[in-house]
Amino acid sequence: MLSAMIKKEFLLVLRDKHALLALFVLPAVFILIMSVAMRDQFSTKAIEFSIFVKDKDKSEMSQDLLEKLEKNEHFSITQEADAQFSIIIPKRYSKGMNKKLKVAVKDSIKSDQIEIFKAMMAKDILSVRFNEMSKEVKEYSLKASRTIKNMDTSADKLYAIKYNGSKTIPNSTQQSVPAWIVFGMFFIIIPMSTIYVNERKQNTLTRLSSMNISILSMTLSKSIPYMLINQVQVWIMLAVGMFLVPFFDTPALEINGSIGAIFAISFGLSISAIGVSSLIAVSASSSEQATTIGGISNILLGAIGGVMVPKFIMPESMQTLANFSPMSWGLDGFLDIFLKSADVSMILSDMIALLLFGLSALILSMIILHLRIKKGL
Amino acid sequence: MIQISNISKSYGDKKALDEFSLTIKEGSVFGLLGVNGAGKTTLLSILNNLINIDSGDIKIFGLDIKTQQREINSISSIIPQHLAFYENLSVGENLDFFAKIQNAKKEDFEKALEINSLGNLLKQKASSLSGGQKRRLNIAIGLLNNPKIIYFDEPTVGIDPKSRNEILDSIKSYKSLGITVVYTSHYMNEIEKICDEVAIIDNGKLIEQNSLKNLLSSDAVTSLEQHFLKITGECDA
Repeated sequence: MLSAMIKKEFLLVLRDKHALLALFVLPAVFILIMSVAMRDQFSTKAIEFSIFVKDKDKSEMSQDLLEKLEKNEHFSITQEADAQFSIIIPKRYSKGMNKKLKVAVKDSIKSDQIEIFKAMMAKDILSVRFNEMSKEVKEYSLKASRTIKNMDTSADKLYAIKYNGSKTIPNSTQQSVPAWIVFGMFFIIIPMSTIYVNERKQNTLTRLSSMNISILSMTLSKSIPYMLINQVQVWIMLAVGMFLVPFFDTPALEINGSIGAIFAISFGLSISAIGVSSLIAVSASSSEQATTIGGISNILLGAIGGVMVPKFIMPESMQTLANFSPMSWGLDGFLDIFLKSADVSMILSDMIALLLFGLSALILSMIILHLRIKKGL
Repeated sequence: MIQISNISKSYGDKKALDEFSLTIKEGSVFGLLGVNGAGKTTLLSILNNLINIDSGDIKIFGLDIKTQQREINSISSIIPQHLAFYENLSVGENLDFFAKIQNAKKEDFEKALEINSLGNLLKQKASSLSGGQKRRLNIAIGLLNNPKIIYFDEPTVGIDPKSRNEILDSIKSYKSLGITVVYTSHYMNEIEKICDEVAIIDNGKLIEQNSLKNLLSSDAVTSLEQHFLKITGECDA
């Protein structure tokens, strides 16, 4: 009996071209567009400042500094006066440690860009200073001179960022794939609620009820197909991130966590999405109403939950609000898997929250459906 | 036999059925008449276990409606006024689905197809059927569990006269199969054409129950419609 009901649900969804578009094509397109669009925001290699340098010292050290700046991939040396940063190496710069470079900053440069510039400059200046120190101590200790010369002040050498064992730094694809996977999974609200409302309005549910089909069977027969559809969505979206996005000169998705964790978090998300869909379906009075409410709630949950705007750039109050969206729990789970090599135990709390939310919504929707059938829908 | 004894059902303050009693003989084609809001749909919903009664007793073929709901559902079937099937599935897929969820036998599947002349439409999408064909599919689904009782809730609404006659002829044929038919309609001529016995309900109460022959011979009326208007004082049936 259950298999016949599941088959029926599959046939209805697969014949709904708009639903297929919303479930599979739309999230894939979102992933592609957002990964490419945000590529530069998440790549440190893309940061480049134009600098104008005037060397008044004309010393060996100032030449060394110039060479370092020229070799730095984040700087482009220009002779034009409207460079973002104009640097003057003052006379006698090489004669004392207390001598400073003079830097003029163009008005349009934002303060966060200045901070990045300062960090990059500091690395090159320190390198040049260490070189000078190395030369000065050479006549006293060859070993000390070599040690100073080999000092590397680049961030990679000074500290290693580790995300629970992984050295992976997030790229735009790793940011956008989980966000749009979560959003796409909740798109089942549209077809599920539309089919459900139509069944209710056409008295098909009443007919099923008179055929000894319990509300639990009806709910299960709807939940199982959409859980499978959600799984197919997840793996298609992952494949888009891994294999299609790189064709657009954008980093491929790297999955560092366990496959089991992906199944677990997407299962939790599925139950949540099915719960919300069922609740809307049994509460709405028409399919138009269900589609509108479903669409709006999907966008709101996504906006609050960090799908449209990453949570880490939200103000603190919004980040707190985000914790109330199930999409946020799912997103956190996926980000932990992709960026922190999470296994099932690490995403367990997110998965349990999603399951509890989804099951509560499902139970509530079953109660409402029972009452509606008893009232003649 | 369907034995309804002193049942009442209220929605808030409104009494839909009030100390209502009725007996329907096995194998008869029974017409249920009443104006909108008289209590016909409530009665059909109660008989199909879709809503519960507040008080009273109902026995259907000896089964108690309060304790043997599943058994009653398995021997009865309701043909709803709305087309309660899936427009995006074919005729065959619809019948197959409703047959499987009821564990219907193959011969019952074939019989439902034959009676409703749907054999050559199996691959056609339900949404592309004509109004009459859709009605026939709606009825065929109700026959899949080989019911002993079928409840028809205005099954001929919105279809052409030819299709209506075909449906009425098929319903008459159920009598020969021993099926008890309970039929509600706004069309008095349909009731006259197919029913052996008629009950008239008004404001949740049984006004009259009699054989069609007796009803038409009383009060010197020439049609059921005349009789109905006379005893209810209503224009809308």
